[in-house]
Amino acid sequence: MSFRNRKVNKKEIQMKSHVFSLISLSLVFFLTWSSIGWAQAPREEAEKTAQHLAILLNVGRLIVERNQTLINDPRKGDKGFTPEVFEHEVVDEFIRQTSIDLKHLPSDLPSLAKELMPVLLESSKEVVADAQLVINQRGIGYKNFIPATFGSQAARKFSNRSHVKIKQTTLNPRNLKNTPDAYEENVLKRLATQPASNTSVTDWIDNETTLRALTPIYYSKDCLACHGSPKGILDISGYPREGAQEGDLAGAISIQIPVKSQ
Amino acid sequence: MTVLLRRTICDQLRRARPEKILDVFQRIHLRFFRACGLASGCTSFASSRMAMSDRLLGIVPFLIALGSFLQGCGLVFDAVELVQPLARDEISTICSRGQLRVGISVEPFRPFVFPAVFTDEGVRVTGLDVELIREVADALTTHCGGQKPIVPTLHLTRFRDLFIEMNEGHLDLFVSSIGGNVPGARPAGLWYSIPYFHNGGVGAMIQKPEVAERVRAQFQHQAGNSDTLAAIQAGLSGLTVAAQKGRTSHLYAEANLKNIRLLICDSLPAAVETKDPRIDVILSKYSILDYVTKHVWPDWHLLTRNDGTPLILTQESFSIVTIEENRRLQWFLNNLLYRLEESGRLEHMRRRWLEEDYAPTRRATTEGLPFEVSKVPEHYEQGQCRFATGR
Repeated sequence: MSFRNRKVNKKEIQMKSHVFSLISLSLVFFLTWSSIGWAQAPREEAEKTAQHLAILLNVGRLIVERNQTLINDPRKGDKGFTPEVFEHEVVDEFIRQTSIDLKHLPSDLPSLAKELMPVLLESSKEVVADAQLVINQRGIGYKNFIPATFGSQAARKFSNRSHVKIKQTTLNPRNLKNTPDAYEENVLKRLATQPASNTSVTDWIDNETTLRALTPIYYSKDCLACHGSPKGILDISGYPREGAQEGDLAGAISIQIPVKSQ
Repeated sequence: MTVLLRRTICDQLRRARPEKILDVFQRIHLRFFRACGLASGCTSFASSRMAMSDRLLGIVPFLIALGSFLQGCGLVFDAVELVQPLARDEISTICSRGQLRVGISVEPFRPFVFPAVFTDEGVRVTGLDVELIREVADALTTHCGGQKPIVPTLHLTRFRDLFIEMNEGHLDLFVSSIGGNVPGARPAGLWYSIPYFHNGGVGAMIQKPEVAERVRAQFQHQAGNSDTLAAIQAGLSGLTVAAQKGRTSHLYAEANLKNIRLLICDSLPAAVETKDPRIDVILSKYSILDYVTKHVWPDWHLLTRNDGTPLILTQESFSIVTIEENRRLQWFLNNLLYRLEESGRLEHMRRRWLEEDYAPTRRATTEGLPFEVSKVPEHYEQGQCRFATGR
């Protein structure tokens, strides 16, 4: 009896130890998997957010470019290009490009993007509001309210309000505040030699704690009035033309997202 | 307030200048007097001296009574002020405020004030007058001890409103290519500095060459005894001539050109844009016309003498304007302008804006000044032109 009992006990102990090992393994696996996921989620979230922010700033620039003739019309006083009109056009264009409605952000959008996109939209609207006086001057044609100046101001306003930094940069900037840092310069030089692409270049730096993303901008036909040929001749704003051609790299929207600070 | 009132009343009654009394009331915002109908809401300086005198006939006894009533308070004030001066001079006020409130005309007077443009830094305004404002602010920073920079806060406002803003105490000074030596251009209560721009004067621009021929023919008749006024009076006779309201050209035309059809415009761009009636000649400051005919409206040409030299109808020099009471600020400005002239800095500025080839937008980006957007008239319109009445 005692021998039998001892045998049963031994089996029970063996089974218990198997169950324990299984549970331990499952736990280790679960913990490993979840920690990978934990690290992966903010990275993906940050990358997607950077992509959406770059598109949004670019859409704002596009809307300014589309309304350039109206803005520069010296015969009109009140142009009707109000912050609300601008917002409406941005929302429409953003839906067209991304299928995302800025007024009703989808639930599957990263929470960081949900937090930051309204901030960028509001900053962009404020820039248009600040420029109303200039835009609505009658009798004055060129007012320097162009995609580049709009973008600089919108990016600055946004960066002052969040932990994320946005900047327009190029290899030979007209405004020295847009001078690229070492990372941006490297990427821009690489992009300049590659065929045009809308894909952003992303890298994780500082021990994987900061996302750097550069979304290239290429010269369109409208840009060439100021940035085209003949090279060196002053354009309407007083800067020497770059001699660029349609499709050449104009610069990039540079975004920095520190993940730790969240 | 009581003390200030008492002092002001005594001082002003001694000088016996009725319009000045009203001006001071307006400046210290004595709404009570306005509400009682003792001081008008009108802020123009010398709209009707007679009317003011009539109104003051009833006010003066009241003021004297009020002055005597406040005598005791004044003694207390004097005693306190001996220990701790209460009323600070205008420069100390600017130093402690850290801001220099400068009025500037929203109507562009290129190259003195260019239209506001949007830059990477936001909305900016630039021009010779703006550079001068920077110099004044820098000098004030040094004068105030240099610890806190004196920031020039620009109030872009309509030209006609500059005088009102100054009168109401919203500005420390204004700079807008204003002629200080033109009859009728200096409202009472304002002070004009020594000139910062000497070579100003009224010029003319035209589109039709026959207008120039008419004027030149008059000079030819004079056979060497040059008389610009006579040549202009005869040469422009019967023509439609535009001038900007309140500016030197307007005052000149009103006073000297009786046989023209005078069109008064709210701004220079308004004159250029007017198609009906067709304008033969636009009068304005010569240096401004010289700039705009070269860079802005190439369809218009400067009216010149027979030998091609500039035709200046009358000379004027531009000054900085502040109120009459700001004695310390006045000396500060005059001393500064004299030093800038002496050092060649003013000459350099004049050459930089009037002779060099440059892009105003680029200069606005690098050296332009921001301004109080809230002070600017919404949807600034360049205005219209209308025929002068009562001529």
